[in-house]
Amino acid sequence: MTTAGEANATHAAVQSELRQRLARVLNPRCIAVVGDKQVRNYSWLKSLKPFTGSLYSVQVDEREIPGIEELGVKNFGALADIPEPIDFVVCAAPRAVAPHIVRDCIAVGAGGIALFTSGFSEHGDEQGKQLEQELIQLARDARLPLIGPNCMGLHIPRLGVRFSTDQPVHAGGDIAFISQSGTHGLNFSLGAALHGLYCSTLVSFGNGAVLEAADYLDYFADDDTTEVIGMYIEGVRDGPRFARVLRDVARRKPVVVWKGGQTEVGKRATLSHTASLTTNSRVWNALVKQAGAIPVDSLDEMLDVVKALRHPHPTTGRSVALAAMTGGQSVVIADDFAKAGFEIPIFSAASSARLREFVNVIGGSAENPLDLVNTVLYDATAVRRVLDILNEDPKIDAIAFEVSAYIMHGRWAKDPALLEALLDTVAAFNRASTKTFAVIIYPGHVEAKAADVRDALQQRGVATYPTFARAATALAKAIAFHAARAEP
Amino acid sequence: MSEALLDQARAEGRTVLNEVESKQILAAAGLPIIPTELATSPSHAAEIAAVLGFPVALKVVATAISHKSDHGGVVLNLPDAAAVRAAYDEIRAATSHLAAFEGVSVQPMAAPGVELVVGLARDPQFGPVVMVGLGGVLVELLEDIALRLVPLTPSDAAAMIREIKGLPLLQGYRGALPADLAAIEAILLAVSRFAVANPDIAELDLNPVIAGPDGARAVDARIVLIENEHSP
Repeated sequence: MTTAGEANATHAAVQSELRQRLARVLNPRCIAVVGDKQVRNYSWLKSLKPFTGSLYSVQVDEREIPGIEELGVKNFGALADIPEPIDFVVCAAPRAVAPHIVRDCIAVGAGGIALFTSGFSEHGDEQGKQLEQELIQLARDARLPLIGPNCMGLHIPRLGVRFSTDQPVHAGGDIAFISQSGTHGLNFSLGAALHGLYCSTLVSFGNGAVLEAADYLDYFADDDTTEVIGMYIEGVRDGPRFARVLRDVARRKPVVVWKGGQTEVGKRATLSHTASLTTNSRVWNALVKQAGAIPVDSLDEMLDVVKALRHPHPTTGRSVALAAMTGGQSVVIADDFAKAGFEIPIFSAASSARLREFVNVIGGSAENPLDLVNTVLYDATAVRRVLDILNEDPKIDAIAFEVSAYIMHGRWAKDPALLEALLDTVAAFNRASTKTFAVIIYPGHVEAKAADVRDALQQRGVATYPTFARAATALAKAIAFHAARAEP
Repeated sequence: MSEALLDQARAEGRTVLNEVESKQILAAAGLPIIPTELATSPSHAAEIAAVLGFPVALKVVATAISHKSDHGGVVLNLPDAAAVRAAYDEIRAATSHLAAFEGVSVQPMAAPGVELVVGLARDPQFGPVVMVGLGGVLVELLEDIALRLVPLTPSDAAAMIREIKGLPLLQGYRGALPADLAAIEAILLAVSRFAVANPDIAELDLNPVIAGPDGARAVDARIVLIENEHSP
């Protein structure tokens, strides 16, 4: 018992030291890429082109070196030859070489390493498992933060650290994303930027052999630039520690959790993808709920919920005012928000009286849900008038407003000023509003136009959603989070 | 008391504790358990019943049985000493083929209420998990249960009982008095504390727990320990 206890204490101490050392890796000033090559189109070095610090290559294959130097990157034969301290090493070398690279990192005092290299425990063969054990032993003994293996590593937009040339570089946002999958990490960083959401740091950590989800969660809980944490996870190595850390972190920052491998077949796939052991889905769902984290089922829902959590006026109330543009939409918006657990109250007497002064009720409705098509079609001032009344109604906590590209695209094409006036009005209301405000733009048959309107609104800080159901689900999850946090 | 009985079982290398032992252990750990004693003869059973108060229920105590009623091992609602003595013989005869017969448990009939199942199971990755569900024969079919990882907080316990779809049955369905939800929450918290104090519990079943307006009590109980972990 004593020896096991001591072993646990030592294990925890090593883990905590590794986590502290992660700070240097996630704020690098010097990066070395080991083993990038032509056949991968030198994608590591190209992706790291915008890096604000110094970038070096390590490649011993003479045939690869000219291509690397053409990129303007200085190549060395070994990490030890690089003339400055290396904060972060990206390793793309084959699996048999990986332990040697890790030893070199330790020898030169590198900050940490991400292993793109795969073929370890996820491969299922004995050699792969042994090599992974060797990496774990080396990294833990030397306290070297090792990300992966079998991962894409880091995207730090503010420093120009990327693993794909498609990833955006920007001043840096406040969302940290932790992903066991490189693809979902990549799609989060690309999709998020489309939706006006910006990452502080994104970590793709693959097999999580040395540092796993709990370690990254812990790190981002303490990271001042991170306000919201998103996570794609397939499995955990230390279950009780994960449960404890998730509970602790979710009390401090919202954590949105997307679990891969929720079905039997999906679980089978996680084994070969990241060597993740199967988790009982009921136990997992209980764990997420108990921790106060927010469960989601897809990348779309992840983006929606992260967006909803960043509404400038969070509410804990569930009374929503709904404004649709047609009768049919007013029915469906009410159904979708009611299904998500919202109340759709009758407006206050004062609001009703004010709305009836100008809302056209012939072929429309001045009640909640509103049907506004004949009132606001050509009149942005009427939009503002409606929204102000809803904002002032004491019975209302949140406002959902439909912008109907499918009706308006023709008129907008003829009269672009009409759209501009609408965008200006909605954006100005969003700034002035004191309530959670969401805009829904259904793409319909005019997807490109709807995307333009969405981008224009998002650039002006307005949260938009493509369907009523997605808006309702995301807002409901954000509200449940705020309500739980407000409890004593 | 609870520690002594558990230690004894551990020392003997036994993993399954019988109903009477399980109940004594859990009662000592602060769980509301219907008083239950082991009788080893018909007259012994009648004496115990007189002390506990009629009507009583008799159940076979044999570690090899899990579904006691399937074996003619349970007789309910016995109004007097003569009925108790007869029931003892009846159970003994019905279960005579079982080698592990240890005696018959005697307990007062529980006040009517809503039947719940409370349990503790061990997840291979996340450790002990507390479960609550509606009881009776439908529980396994409907799977209307709520789970939480140990340790539970009071708000976890409150949330889990409210997560069950059958919650209306506990809130005064069709004119019945509402059940004491706080008493059910207290049981869930006590099970969690018990699991923390005894990391070698593999399974714990309180089935049924009967919940009424004046509290909730476990009518049957079973503890299973993890094999070998603590045996000498």
